[in-house]
Amino acid sequence: MDAELSVPALLGFGADGWGWALMAAAGLTLAVALAAMAIGAVLGAALAAAEASRRVWLVRIAATYGLVMRGVPELLVVLLLYFGAPGMLAGVAGLFGLPAPGSPPAFLTGSLAIGLVSAAYQAEVFRGGMLALPRGQIEAAMAAGMGPVVRLRRVILPQVLHHVLPPLGNIWQFNLKDSALVSITGLAELMRVSLVAAGSTRRPFVFFAAAMVLYLILTSASSALFRMIERRGSRWAGGR
Amino acid sequence: MIRVAGLALLVLLAACHPRAPEGARELVIGTEGLYPPWNFTRADGRLDGFEPDYMRDLCARLHRRCRMVAMDWDGMVGALQTGKIDLIADAVQITPERAAVLWFSRPYALTTGVIATLRDSPLAGLPDRGAMMDFDRHGPDLDARIGRLRKGLSGKVVGVELSGAFDNFLNQSIGSHVTIRYYRTMGERDLDLLNGRIDATLEDESYIRPLLATRDGAALALAGPRMIGGSMGRGEALAFRPGDTALHDAFDGAIAATLADGTVRRLGLKWFRMDATPPGAGKVR
Amino acid sequence: MDFLGTTSLGLLRAVPVTVLLFLASALGASLVAAVLVAMQQARVTQGLARAWIFVFRGTPLLLQIFMVYYGIAALGPIRHGFLWPAFREPLFCAWLAMTCCCSAYIAEVLRGALGAIPVGQIEAALACGMGRWTRLRLIVAPQVLRLALPAYGNELVMMIKSTSLASSITVLDVTGVAQQVIAHSYRTLDVFCLAAAVYLGMTAALTAVLRRIERSLDPLGSARR
Repeated sequence: MDAELSVPALLGFGADGWGWALMAAAGLTLAVALAAMAIGAVLGAALAAAEASRRVWLVRIAATYGLVMRGVPELLVVLLLYFGAPGMLAGVAGLFGLPAPGSPPAFLTGSLAIGLVSAAYQAEVFRGGMLALPRGQIEAAMAAGMGPVVRLRRVILPQVLHHVLPPLGNIWQFNLKDSALVSITGLAELMRVSLVAAGSTRRPFVFFAAAMVLYLILTSASSALFRMIERRGSRWAGGR
Repeated sequence: MIRVAGLALLVLLAACHPRAPEGARELVIGTEGLYPPWNFTRADGRLDGFEPDYMRDLCARLHRRCRMVAMDWDGMVGALQTGKIDLIADAVQITPERAAVLWFSRPYALTTGVIATLRDSPLAGLPDRGAMMDFDRHGPDLDARIGRLRKGLSGKVVGVELSGAFDNFLNQSIGSHVTIRYYRTMGERDLDLLNGRIDATLEDESYIRPLLATRDGAALALAGPRMIGGSMGRGEALAFRPGDTALHDAFDGAIAATLADGTVRRLGLKWFRMDATPPGAGKVR
Repeated sequence: MDFLGTTSLGLLRAVPVTVLLFLASALGASLVAAVLVAMQQARVTQGLARAWIFVFRGTPLLLQIFMVYYGIAALGPIRHGFLWPAFREPLFCAWLAMTCCCSAYIAEVLRGALGAIPVGQIEAALACGMGRWTRLRLIVAPQVLRLALPAYGNELVMMIKSTSLASSITVLDVTGVAQQVIAHSYRTLDVFCLAAAVYLGMTAALTAVLRRIERSLDPLGSARR
């Protein structure tokens, strides 16, 4: 029962093989990164809008959020949500007279934590994108009778995307890599599964190397995808 | 006529069929699946270990269908209270704090805390080898043993799982005499114990003994005294909702049967390489 | 009040660990990055440099830290070799992983700065008959430093935050202490705010220093957009 397993057996898809577990974990990593990106996009857009607004208190809140979330280690944010969420949820539930809901699923706390940090960086990107668009174009589009949706599609997006896509691609890469921090919550993403496998089989080098290969596949596929999108996107903006 | 006969036959059959007990729905059992060898998740996702085996046996004795689900410890008590699960089988040690919120069955296992080191470590010669330290029995004997343990571990590096029972014990009883290294998973702690980064670890013997039997674990040995009671608890038991008398008493009876007929002994030897049967009347061996 | 006081003291006492790790990693990573950029100029070594940058920018730092601490340290030649006293220490392993990882990012920053030097200047230098080293000393290096500073400063700020990952391999830096206190007290929000304040203080101090340097190198602001 304790025979020394070969590398192919350990990583393979047999009975003692961790192949399927690692593949599923890579998929979960992708899911966490996507969820974090989405949360960051929505919150980041709101923050950018708040910073562009005329209400001073909104600007201050958005600026403070960005300062704190960009200056604090992501690991601390994950720890805050992982250890603090049950207590915070219990407090909120108590206000409504509801029983404590216990701890939320790890996927939620993990992707929310990464998303909260990602939002601060995405807000900066959106702000830069908004600044890059001359106000006159929007006014001209309105004068030409374009509705808001058409305006977005024909005037705003093609020009803003060109500015916004490269840094967003960067942020996506960081989300992919930061998803490894979610391993603290116990979620079975790639970092966690490779760590558990390394510990229980006592063959750390094999599993961490396999995890590195899988992360490299995810990040290089992502950068190839973004390069392709950028090339297509630059067609609208009339090329460089 | 035939219709009446058919109906009578059906009623007869229904009466003869061994009636399923009250509430014949499936029982949902909560566990973590992260605490080998009590319960763990295999590479293919199945739950395995002492508890899945044991619960299968208990449920068969009670003629109930059971399903084990994995969840984090933080959410398990809440899930029990809200009825999402019916009982907890997760190597839960009986402690006074837990007994305030959970209703424990009688213990189905009793394991002690042990110290493990590398065979050639200077700590291998710790005093009181194999002696039982009962932290529920305060007195000069216990104090003397604690003193000797403190002296023996002084200046050494001990690794434990973060916020586990032994983490609390080390901080409370041994305190600043040792350097404590915290690990998030047991696997990481094992790796550092084997490569000599930490001088010793404090862990449950049900985890350590199977480790000693592995190829890598042959380099390790038990040292010093064994520990029970206090924050380490006193035996493992099933946990029920307070007031769930029917279920609690049913399982108590089944556990008694498995203790008497050697099932616990057999499963203990299979999973822990030791007999974890609690001694009669709960007295410590 | 007492809890906050003891926790603050504990966190502040861990600041030297964080600062030491940061400074040592920044130094190591910058040196390795310079080597990488030099390697990229020669065709023979170009491939190796690109592979290094690809691997260390394409994988998470946390994984790299685990790889060094558990993975590499488990290999025979390391475990039983003369390097074991170093690899035995968690802080060394964290430093090594951070040096390798951040060197890749800094190398990219330097590469970008190199590319931003107007080609005309290089051509003029060649026309003047400047040798390679003179060109480097008088034309390239001063401008690279000035052009790279903003992005390099960004990388340094990220490095301070990255030091928190050392807590995953039992290092008791600010995050390590914070995590330990949280696990034993469950007063998560309090500890988070205190630890966050400590890190914000450190990054603010670093940013202030960097801005001073930026201004002294470029008083007229010609490098800004």
